[in-house]
Parts: sequence; structure tokens; C-alpha cells
Amino acid sequence: MKYIAGKLGLFVLTLWAAVTLNFFLPRLMPGSPADAAIAKLAQNGPVTEATRAAIEAQLGVPDGSLWEQYASYLRQVVTLDFGVSYTFYPQTVSSMVSTALPYTLILVGIVTILAFVLGTLIGVAAAWKRGTWLDSLPTLSGSFMSTFPYFWTALLLLFFLGYVLHWFPTTGAYSATTTPAFSFAFLGDALLHAALPALTILLTSLGGWIIGMRNAMINTLGDDYVTFAEANGLRGGTVAIRYAARNAILPNLTGFGLALGGVVGGSILVEQVFGYPGIGYLLFNAVIGQDYPLMQALFLMITVSVLIANFLVDILYGVLDPRTRR
Amino acid sequence: MTSTQNVRIPTDGAADGAVAATSRWRSFSRTLGVVWSNGKARVGIVILGLFVLVAIFAPLLAPYDPKDTSFDRNLDATGAHWLGTTAAGEDVLSQLIFGARISILVGLAAGVLSTLIAVAIGLSWGYLKGFASEVVGFIVNLFLVIPGLPLMIVIAAYLQNGGILMIIAVIVVTGWAWGARVLRSQTQSLRGRDFVTAAQFSGERAPRIVFREILPNMTSLIVGSLFGAATAAILAEAGLEFLGLGDSSIVSWGTMLYWAQNSNALLTGQWALLFAPGLCIALLALSLTLINFGVDAVSNPRLRDGKATK
Amino acid sequence: MTSTNPKRDRADGDVLLDVRDLSVIYESAGAAPVQAVDDVSFTLKRGEFVGLVGESGSGKSTLGFALTRLQKPPARTNGGNIFFDGSDIRELDTETLRTQRQGGFAMVLQSGMNALNPVRTIRNHFMDIFRAHGHVAKADREARAAELVRKVELDPSVLARYPGELSGGMRQRVSIALALSLEPQLMVFDEPTTALDVLVQHAVMDTIQSLQASENFTAILISHDLGIVLEATQRVLVMHEGRIVEDGASRDILERPQDDYTRMLLSHYADPRAEVVELPGFPARRSGAEPGTTRPRAEAGDAAVVTRSVRSADSAIVVDGVSKVYPPPRRGEKPVRALDDVSFTLEPGQSLALVGASGSGKSTLAKLITGIEKPTQGDVRFGDVDVTRLRAKGLRDLRSNVQMVFQDPYSALNPLHTVEYTLSRPIRNMTDLRGDDARARLHDLLTTVGLTPTETFAQKLPHQLSGGQRQRVVIARALASDPQVLIADEPVSMLDVSLRAGVLALLEDLREKWGVSLLYITHDLLSARLVTDDIMVLHDGKVVERGVTSEVLRNPQDEYTVRLLDAVPNPRRLREDVA
Repeated sequence: MKYIAGKLGLFVLTLWAAVTLNFFLPRLMPGSPADAAIAKLAQNGPVTEATRAAIEAQLGVPDGSLWEQYASYLRQVVTLDFGVSYTFYPQTVSSMVSTALPYTLILVGIVTILAFVLGTLIGVAAAWKRGTWLDSLPTLSGSFMSTFPYFWTALLLLFFLGYVLHWFPTTGAYSATTTPAFSFAFLGDALLHAALPALTILLTSLGGWIIGMRNAMINTLGDDYVTFAEANGLRGGTVAIRYAARNAILPNLTGFGLALGGVVGGSILVEQVFGYPGIGYLLFNAVIGQDYPLMQALFLMITVSVLIANFLVDILYGVLDPRTRR
Repeated sequence: MTSTQNVRIPTDGAADGAVAATSRWRSFSRTLGVVWSNGKARVGIVILGLFVLVAIFAPLLAPYDPKDTSFDRNLDATGAHWLGTTAAGEDVLSQLIFGARISILVGLAAGVLSTLIAVAIGLSWGYLKGFASEVVGFIVNLFLVIPGLPLMIVIAAYLQNGGILMIIAVIVVTGWAWGARVLRSQTQSLRGRDFVTAAQFSGERAPRIVFREILPNMTSLIVGSLFGAATAAILAEAGLEFLGLGDSSIVSWGTMLYWAQNSNALLTGQWALLFAPGLCIALLALSLTLINFGVDAVSNPRLRDGKATK
Repeated sequence: MTSTNPKRDRADGDVLLDVRDLSVIYESAGAAPVQAVDDVSFTLKRGEFVGLVGESGSGKSTLGFALTRLQKPPARTNGGNIFFDGSDIRELDTETLRTQRQGGFAMVLQSGMNALNPVRTIRNHFMDIFRAHGHVAKADREARAAELVRKVELDPSVLARYPGELSGGMRQRVSIALALSLEPQLMVFDEPTTALDVLVQHAVMDTIQSLQASENFTAILISHDLGIVLEATQRVLVMHEGRIVEDGASRDILERPQDDYTRMLLSHYADPRAEVVELPGFPARRSGAEPGTTRPRAEAGDAAVVTRSVRSADSAIVVDGVSKVYPPPRRGEKPVRALDDVSFTLEPGQSLALVGASGSGKSTLAKLITGIEKPTQGDVRFGDVDVTRLRAKGLRDLRSNVQMVFQDPYSALNPLHTVEYTLSRPIRNMTDLRGDDARARLHDLLTTVGLTPTETFAQKLPHQLSGGQRQRVVIARALASDPQVLIADEPVSMLDVSLRAGVLALLEDLREKWGVSLLYITHDLLSARLVTDDIMVLHDGKVVERGVTSEVLRNPQDEYTVRLLDAVPNPRRLREDVA
């Protein structure tokens, strides 16, 4: 319990730090959003003082002291009121984020867990059968796949399975002809659209988990308790799973938490390639349209999701390791 | 491999004679021997060497100027254009050859810079005790859990069109934390060794203990995190360029893919335009990952001994 | 043994284990192969308790792993046969090997503390074994596990605990119980007590001996300590450089050792309680000589003394009413009181032994005296300097006068620095010598610690030196600043027995020639007897006994001192018992 309380405290502190970082990020940057918007306009002709004032007012150029700005920002965060989007005026940022969030959570969440479980199992097999093809094949192909840029894997799959073979749709989360509803037709359609992005994330992230688990387990296989278990004539499966793998999963789990950010980052690229209307695709569009309120809210959303996932991983770690229970 | 020398210990100029130098050189060459004895690492070194050579001699190797738009557009592979031409009428092979320069430059620069930060922070964090260490630890963990690419994207969006230097800076800011964490735990374990206490008893001051006693014992870990950081930097650079967040007028593998997607190479079926730049990125990243298999074996003998059974 | 084993009843003569011309080689990539076990033959009768003795690198553990077929690459058996109960175990396939570990041969590892899976309870460890072999009926398993832990003198409540919740000695007992649960005919104990505290060592050895008698298994005890082996076993194999150089009854080896190597090992044992204590290369020290007094400082004229810098005044170390309390290791537990109101004075030129088992607070005291840590209460003074108040600069000054010799010579030298570099640093930092003078000083130091030719040794890296040579470098480094006080924290406990006397003689020599006062921290009473005049016994942070070393050891008053003395393995005492 003390372990969980400690982790919870750390989580809250980290959350606060991330929220604060998000506040200071635009303020540390040279220029302001208004300047950028004006510079954009200026390409088409001179900008008058009146136009400038109008733009600054519209973009909510911050006024008041830094503390007042910070206070009102915190209020925004707590009430989830991030204002109105520039590019998709008059939609609110919150409504746009809440539309996009489920797609990403389901796609990235399920695929990442699947990839981790699969990679861990393959890693266990590779370490246990070290030096055989069962080791070298997944290790080599895994390390090769994990060096593929996410967007390139996405492009290749899209090109061959989408454009050349026409097995999968090439864009969107569902067909333009269907409307979102809880029907088998819609769900089937949505699954078909999610297949290629999911496959991309799975293939690209799998290698890292395989190698991480393999190396962790090679370490535990050299530990004395494994030698002693062999000396006591335990069955191979017991030694591999309950002794070596059971202990190797702990460092691998920590690695999983820390690598999550990378997977989420990669999924942004994947969503962009497939035009999949999740958080990443929205972030990309916000950046292209210089939609700063949307961008800031999305970055916060992504960060908070990863923090929560890390917190859950910490809790799981606590469950798996009796040494944290003291 | 020139990159490894760059992170090597900031020698403080105190000429302790050729002896120390030879001993360090000896341990360095022994390390190199272990790396080279690993088959995977050897393949990696060869691939990396090829890319470096291509980058250096790009003007000699490339058949055309990579920015020359005077050719027919969207050509498939022909005798004159082995990999075809782009939608703007540039030679794909020439772009590919010159693109190696950007990736290697970014990988090297961002890798070295973030490793330097990682070394500075990781070592002081590991050597410090008490509250200061907790604070540093919190900051490092913050940078670790905050997703790197989204942060890069947001920073890059604020710093409109900063070009390649901006990309390097963004990668460094977001990429040092992992190395710092790894180096810190090693520093902590070395700090508990008697030779560090003994150095205090020999009247050594803290900076010299950190840089002359502890740091040289972590060479393989530092090289490992350098290659790891360089790999991440190369992939991140390609990703940012692909999103159009860098300077899209330069010739790099990332911008090639950016233009390829924007010009609908998928629809025109120019597979070489899509395939070749990505493969180069993957191979370059792979070469570094493979070298790290060998470097890992230096710092973790358990990963090494298994080779003997083969 | 509760279950019957058909194999055991088979009457095929007395021999259980027959090893013929066994050779084991280490083949590491990129290194020259090492023949760790070289053409070894011996047999073991049922019910025998045999010791296998050798110093580090003799191949004794490699042999143990080969006998139980637990060796892993890069080790490989490259010759000979091992007949266990009539069949060659080198030919067993994996599954037969696995199943015959029940009722066959078992092994208890050296690092018993790490031999248990940290994420499984002790109960699960037993259940895993019962499930793997099915030799205990399901209904009886719980009772059997409880019975087994009772046999190793533990309470059955440990079954519910995780290994991390048990002490080192308890964990080693658990692993003995686990090995016992296999009902083996042969038990191989590989240094079963080395990692444990002295007193715990003694208790665990007692348990092993009584189990061997009551359970009647055949046992091999692998150890670096001839004393322990001679006390426990009936027959001893002495191993040296991969070969068995002597094989005989314990009593014969004690009285009529045939091999020079065995004789050399034996010569390094003595009874710290004896009237005269004598070791090879060590002057005989009679009891009662110079009782309670310190020796006069050596007069000028000696080469080493001439190089001394001028000192203001000789200064004593005064420890006055010192207590040290550490915060609780885990939340909800009591703070740890490492030292409790300890006072003593180390006069210039005096040599004082600080003796106790691990956890007695003796190393904490060393940290307080050298300013690494601050006491919770009380004063530590060096001359008129208050050590507890020193900051970085003051500590550096203190350390030019108070130096430290570390326990582990393998960890005390930076593996990347040459001897020359290691020694040149304190000379540069803490003396005014530069250039040729500094170089001359460096070679003087090497000569003093007996590392000649100095030119050769100066260029060496630590891995090119033996353990004893490394410890000499560590001592030379401590001497570089010409200190008045040397604190030696278990300086010989990590060294092979044959190397200890040399290092101890060096310390003794330094004290006489340089007039350095010595605080000698140890659990080893024999070495304390050799190099110190006075002794202080620490127990749970308190001083329980103090006095002249020879008198205290010959006539101990405190019960704890007696227990420490009893724990000293001593084959010669055994011989007297026999005679």
C-alpha cells in the first residue's frame, strides 16, 4: 500500500510538472501565435494595425501577469475547457479532442498491449532456446523491423496491401457510406479500416519487446536461483516460466512504461499516413494549420495518457514484485 | 566509427605520461576486439562504413545534381535514372546518395550532443546524494515519460521552419534522458566501489573522481548510449521531415518521402521512390543497432558468453 | 528418508561415486582455453563425508559442477567418466538427468542467498520440487515441507515468507532443506558458508554435520578453508591447479601430510589461544611480551624513516562516547543503533584490534574515524582536530595523516589505472614532492611493500597482479602521504590463506619501521593476535571486552569473545584433541 501511495504521489507530481511544462512551452518560444498568424497574412500584403489588434484579440493573446495567466490556464485544464479551435472554428477544442480520443485509445492501446505480450512471449522462447533458429530468427528480424521508421512501414503496407492488392481500405476510420453506430456492419467496417494502422504499430514495435525480454531473460538465466532450480530437477517449463521469465518480466515492464512514449509518437505518424482520425492525425492538422489551442490541448492529452499508462504499469509492477510490498 | 572518439573523456590536459594513455588505448582496443568478435556488430560496422563513405563521396558518386529538376517527371526506373525521377523531375538515385549526408550529420550531431548531456547529468546525478539527486531524478523521469515525438512536433511547430539545426536541437532536448538514466545507475554502482573511496583518501577532488575514476569505467555504456541516441535521432529526423516540419527544400531521406507522399507516389505506383529512402533509413538505423549488440556484450558478459556455445 | 529408493537397496558394493580421469576445460571466445580440472580420479563410498579443499582457481568448484552435471559453457568436460551408482552420468539425456536428481545427487550453491527465486515463497519452492518429481503424495506435501525446514532448525512459518524477508543464514538453511527434499544419495556443498558471517558459518556447518549423520547421505564439502574441512569431514581431497595432490583420511592429513602444498596450507593455521603463535614468515609472538605497552618508535637511520616529512606533533585518535544511529532500513521498523557509547584512544605507534562479527559496528567506527560519516553522539578527535566537524578541505588534510587499507583488493584499485598512476596521485595531492622526487618516492613505496623490481610493477594494471600483490599496492597507496595512522578494514579476509601471512607481516613491519599506529579491524582472531598489542571486542555496537590481545584471547571473559574464538577453524587444535 505504501508503494502504491508513493507511486500515486509521484504520478500527481509528474502530472503537475507536465501540465506546467505545457504552459511554459509556448511562452519560452520566440514570437507569439499572433505574430505567426500575422506573418502568414503578411505574405499576401501589408497588415494594418487594426487587423493586428483584431487578430490578437481573437487569438486571445495573453494579458495579465504570468501568475494570472498560469491560474487561468490551470482552470482551463481542470474544467477541460481549452477554448475554440482556429482552424475548425467554431468547434471547441474539447469536442474535437473527445471525438478523436477513442480512436487512438482503442487502436494504440490494444495494439501496444498485444505487441508487448506477443513480444515478451517470443523473447522468452528466444532466450530459452538461445543459439538456435528460434533465437536468431526473431532476434534478427525483430531488430531489423524495429529500425523501420513507423511512417515507412505504414507507407509500404498502404502501398502493397491497399493500393496494389486492394485488400484493405486506404484511408479513414470507416467508410464514407456508413455512419458510426453499434452495428456489426459498422464495427466490421471500422475493424477493416483499423487493420493496417494496427499491423504497422504491431510490426514496428514488436522487435523492441522481443529483444528487451530476451536480454532480460538471458540475465536471469545466469542467476543462481535458476542454476539451483536446475540442480533440484525442476521441469524445463517451470524453470523457464516461473523462475527465469517471471523475474525477467520485471525490468522489461519498466522498459515498457518508458518506451510507451515512443510508440505513441510513432502512432502519430501512422495515423497521418492512413488518414486515421485519431489524436495524432488531429495533432498533425493542428500543426499544419497553426491551431495553437488545439495543439496545446492535444499535447497535454497525449502526455497525460502516457503518464496514466506509466502509473498503471507501476501498479502492475508492485503486484508482480513481492519486494515492493514490504 | 569516428563518432566514438568524440564522446571520449574530456581529458583534463594533465599529462600523466604516456603510460596512462597506452593503458587507456589498450583497454579501448580490447573493447573494440570484443565488439568486432560479435558477428552482428561486424555486419553493422560494415554497413555503417558504407553509408559514411557514400556520404563523404556523394558528389563523386551521384550521377546528377540532386536538385536538378530538368528531367522528365515521375519516370520509372530507366537506364539513365536507375531509380526513376520525382514528381518535380529530380533524379531519385542522386537524391538518395546526397540524403545520406543529412541523416549521418543529424545522427552524429544529435547523438553526440545528447550523449554529452546524458553523461554530464547522469554522472552528477549518480555521484550526488540526498535531495539534489531526488530533484535531478524527477526531472530526468519527466523527460523520460513525456512522449518525445509529440513534444518535438509541438516545439518544431512553434519554431517555424527552423531547418536542420532546429531539428537537431529539438532531438537533443527530448533525447538525452534515457542515456542519463542508464549512466546514472552505473555511476551509482561504481560509486560504491572501494576504488572511489580510495581516490578520496588519495586527496582527489570530486570532479576528478567523476571524470578520471568513474567515467573511464563506463566507456562501453557511453558508446552504447551514443549509438542508441544516434539511432533515435535518425528516426526522429526522418519523422519530422516526413511531416513537413523541417526545411522541406533540403535533400534528405525524410523530405524525399514527404514529397513522395504529397505527390501521390502511392497512386502513380512509383515504388522505388517510396521504397529506397525508407530502406536507407532502416539500414542505417539497423547498422547502429547491430553495433550495439556488440557493445552490449562488452558491458554485460552474460550476453557475450553464449556466443561461445555456437 | 521417508520414501524408499529401490536403487539404494541394490547391493552393488560400497562405491557410490567413481570419477575416472576427469578433465574440464574452459573455452571462452577470445581467450586461451584453461584446463580447470586436469585428469582427476577418485572414488566415494556410501555414507562418506569428504572434503574438497583448494585455493581460488584450483578448480574445486568446477569439479563440483561437473560431478552434478550443472556446468555451463564456456566450461566443458573434455575427458574421463563419472560413474554414479554404477552408471556414467556423462551419458544421461536431459530428462533422465532431471528425474534422477530426486534420489540422486543434489547441490547446495555457494551463494545460497541468491539461490532462491525472489518472487516465490519458500513454500512454493518446495512445492515446485514435489511437483517436478512426484515423490511426495499431494496430501503429505505441506507436512513434509514443514518437517524439512525443521530439520535445518527453522520454524515452519518461514514457508510463507519470500526469500528477501529472510537473513543470509536462514536462506542458506532453506536451500539445504530444498536439496534435502530431493532425498539425494549424494550432496555436494559448494562453499556453503563462505558468504555468511563467522558465527552463522559455524552454526550452519554444525547443522550440515548433524544432518549428514542423521540422514546418512554421502557428502562432498567444497571449501577454500582446510580448517573447516578438517573439522567436519572424515576424508580430504586437496586440489591444486586442477589436480588432486593429496587424498587421505582427515587425521592422516593432519598428522602426516604427504604433499608440500598440503603442508604449506596446514602451516597457516594456528590457535589464537596458544602460548606461542607462529606462522610462516612471521616472527613468533610470545604471550605476555610487552603487556599493554606500545613499542617505542623506530629510531632514525632507516631509509624509510629518513624520507618522513617533519611533523608538528604525534597525535592520538580519541574516540569519546560515540554512538551512531542509522535511520530504519524500512518504514515502520526501529532505527539501527550501530554503535553505542564507544570510547577508546589509539596512541601513536599503538596497534589495536577491533574485533567483532558482521553487524557489530566495527566498520561503522572506521567510517567515523576517517570522517566519511558523522557520529550521532560523541566526539572523534585526531590530535586537536575535531573530525566530526571537518568539511572537504579539512578531510583532505586529515587523510594525509589517517589512511585506510581496504578489504577487497579487487575493488580497491581502479582497473583502468596503472600502479604508477594510482600511487602518483596521493603523492601529488598530499606531499610537496614533484618530478624526480615524486618518482623516487613512488619507487621507495613499491620497495617498502615488496613489489620489486619496481620499474616492472609500476607499469602493471591491476588485472595483471595477484590478490596479494594488489593488496600490497593498496597498502603502498595508503603509505604515500606518510600517514601517522593506518586503518586496515579486514585487509586479508579476501585473500587466499597462503597469501595472508605475507600481507600481515608487511603491516607488522611497517608499524615497527615507520612507527605508524594501526587500527586493525577484523573478525579473524588469529590475525588480530599476530599484528596487534591490544584488542577491543565489539558486539551489537558495544565494547564487551578490551585488554592486551594475547591475554584477552588466552583468557576471554565475555561469552561473545568465547564464541568468536570457538568459531575459528583450527586443525591443530583438532590434532591435540586426537592426541
